[in-house]
Amino acid sequence: MRRLLGGVTLLGLAAGFVMGFVVAPRESTQGNVQRIMYLHVPSVWVAYLAFGVVLVASIVYLVRRAEAADQLAHASAEVGVLFTGLTIATGSIWGKPTWGTWWTWDARLTSVSILFVMYLGYLLLRGMIDDRERGARFAAVLGIVAAFNIPLVHFSVYWWRTLHQPPSLMKPGPGTMPGIIVAALLVNFAAFTLLYVYFVAKRARLLRLEAEAEA
Amino acid sequence: MPDNWGFVIAAYGLAAIVLIAYWRFLFRREKELDDAGTVRQHLSQESGAQRTQRGPLP
Repeated sequence: MRRLLGGVTLLGLAAGFVMGFVVAPRESTQGNVQRIMYLHVPSVWVAYLAFGVVLVASIVYLVRRAEAADQLAHASAEVGVLFTGLTIATGSIWGKPTWGTWWTWDARLTSVSILFVMYLGYLLLRGMIDDRERGARFAAVLGIVAAFNIPLVHFSVYWWRTLHQPPSLMKPGPGTMPGIIVAALLVNFAAFTLLYVYFVAKRARLLRLEAEAEA
Repeated sequence: MPDNWGFVIAAYGLAAIVLIAYWRFLFRREKELDDAGTVRQHLSQESGAQRTQRGPLP
């Protein structure tokens, strides 16, 4: 099953690459550097998804004390941190040619950095506490608190004046992008979501095996 | 605006390196744990068999 998921994910990523580089046209204002969007936007989507899963799994853990929920939260947080890091790095690379700077302390960039640091802290917290049950409980609380930062990141471009553009896709109202660019983006969204599921399934299994080995 | 292909390659190259590195980490760790699990299973089976040969513990 996991092999099949891995294969489908690989196919999805290949399809996303073809859509982004072959099918989607060169953007008229930014040129080909806009193609970083097919990597940057799905990465932040996966980060939102991952931290949303951490929130739900953390609540489930606190209510039911199910170890599987804790392992899912742990795995999802790790993958979320990975994709948040990618979002920041690819955004910075995209920012240099379009904004003229690698980094600026605007609301979106700052809030996403705080999100990254909070979940990095979540992973460090888990590693610091030897008592597994206690560590899981503390991490669940932090996983819930840190999730409040997600809407702050998403809506920061509306609430403050930012250099970062407002969302073109995950927003209410009619879209402003050409259909072919939206299609390329959606294929990459699907591929990155599959990659997230693949990574989380694999990481959660490892956490279960580690817990069994320690018991 | 110039195409800045260098930035595009840098972004996709970095993502590929990071994602492949993470996949390799998962793959290696999984292999380690699976191997350790097989050894543990083997040892527990062996000790169980020895106990049966020796008869029940006093």
